Amino acid sequence: MATDPSIRFRNKCAIVGVGHSRLGRVPGASALDLQLEAIKNAIVDSGVKASEIDGLLCRGPQDVYCNHQLVGARLGVNARFSTGVDSGGASQTLSVAFAVMAIEAGMAETVVVGFGGDSWSATHASEEARLANDTHAGKRPKEFGIEFGFTGAVAAHALGAQRHMDLYGTTRDHFAEIALVCRENALRNPDAQMKKPLTRENYHAANMIAAPFGVFDCSLRSDGAGAVIITSTERARDLRQRPVMIKGFGSHNNTRGWFADDNMVHTAAGPSGAAAYRMAGLGPRDIDIAQIYDCFTYMVLTEIEDYGFCKKGEGGAFVASGALRRDGALPCNTAGGLLSEAHVDGMLHICEAARQLRGVYPPDRQVKDAEIALVSGHGGNQVCHATLILGNA
Amino acid sequence: MDNSRVTPKRPLPVPPPESLPFWQAAHQRRLTFPRCDACGKSWFPPANLCPHCLSDGFHWEEACGRGKVFSFVVVHRVYHGYFANKVPYTVAVVELDEGPRILSNIVGVDPQKVHCNMAVQVAFDEAGPDMTLPLFAPVEAVRKS
Repeated sequence: MATDPSIRFRNKCAIVGVGHSRLGRVPGASALDLQLEAIKNAIVDSGVKASEIDGLLCRGPQDVYCNHQLVGARLGVNARFSTGVDSGGASQTLSVAFAVMAIEAGMAETVVVGFGGDSWSATHASEEARLANDTHAGKRPKEFGIEFGFTGAVAAHALGAQRHMDLYGTTRDHFAEIALVCRENALRNPDAQMKKPLTRENYHAANMIAAPFGVFDCSLRSDGAGAVIITSTERARDLRQRPVMIKGFGSHNNTRGWFADDNMVHTAAGPSGAAAYRMAGLGPRDIDIAQIYDCFTYMVLTEIEDYGFCKKGEGGAFVASGALRRDGALPCNTAGGLLSEAHVDGMLHICEAARQLRGVYPPDRQVKDAEIALVSGHGGNQVCHATLILGNA
Repeated sequence: MDNSRVTPKRPLPVPPPESLPFWQAAHQRRLTFPRCDACGKSWFPPANLCPHCLSDGFHWEEACGRGKVFSFVVVHRVYHGYFANKVPYTVAVVELDEGPRILSNIVGVDPQKVHCNMAVQVAFDEAGPDMTLPLFAPVEAVRKS
């Protein structure tokens, strides 16, 4: 059998620095400002010099033109390799993959992957700003949406949740479990946006937004940023931190669309994960912790099925068993996720996986014996997906 | 004092050029979709190339107007003033009998009673002087003889 060509990337690069900014409600700070805060923290954490950075894969809010270039200007570097990825919430995980490819191609040696956003401030500045954000106002053609009162990500993802419920008997109580897991984890994370405990009763009593999704099925609006520094494994050995190995990555995009085929319940996480497992030479049984893109509760449920942690249609029973809890079979979103830590487009999932694998958290946050982590990124009108498999050796 | 709070008009689509024939037909109360002259397959939303074979020869076919709910959501939050007195309302992906899937509203039924696979038929709603929206309503149950 021919060797999978992706294997040559296994363990070639490592995450050597991790940083995040203030999270949650940070009025008066721009998305770029927060992004630099996170990048600086990651640089200090890694021990590399800013002048050694020669690769930038940095993304900002959708309407910022060439965010990566603005980052370079503020870091004071001319980067050999610099660009941004356009796959919505999958962009950050995919950027880590591109960083490895760029390093292996000799296009860069030390790459920053970062994201900074201001979705709390942008939507709370004024009523006009909120409406502009919610209705995607603009001059470009738009149809099959706003005229039917179908706007934004909530209703789009809820279509998938409804279909999964109809096909497999999944219930809102299963979605509640995911919201509760994320909140409990956020309460252990002093930087998390959400500070109050959440009960099953709170979940069911909350207002509906677009049924089957209520308030607690939806991720947060957050100001905040995260960043990681990536370099070759060889170089990583001389740096300050225990390297977090990039063992595998993959991507898949159901670009035929969310309404096409049965993409609402068979997400691109399936083939994306299969590619990452192949590169890493690992499978779902080898994964100790998972950071699953949780823009909505349902997405966690369907992604864990697509990643093979349980069979398609059995996600409800799997989460109800307590599998995603800290002492469960698959501790999930251990810093609180987009649902309760902060919605920084999945960048913080990468940071959290790396920190857990370093194994240096205090005991109440550290997942014991976490050696292999899976990170997922999902976005781009529900169809883009990318996966990372990271390890501590 | 504040009598300016009239219900805003329904937001209307701003179609790209390739969709104009669809909206023009809808305004004449005809539900249409593109079908490829080369491979015979259909698609939606409108586009000028067949996504199955990339042929650019196609015609607009009139749908029978019946279909079934592929999936749906019941919107409770008001995102636009027009819908303030309409919530909760149903948005669905309807799979037409001919195959294409189209986003629309399900009207004429309590949102609580909508379900996947519910049989629906098109119900045109004139939303402006140049714009008629194809909405969908449940098909009356056919009495078994």
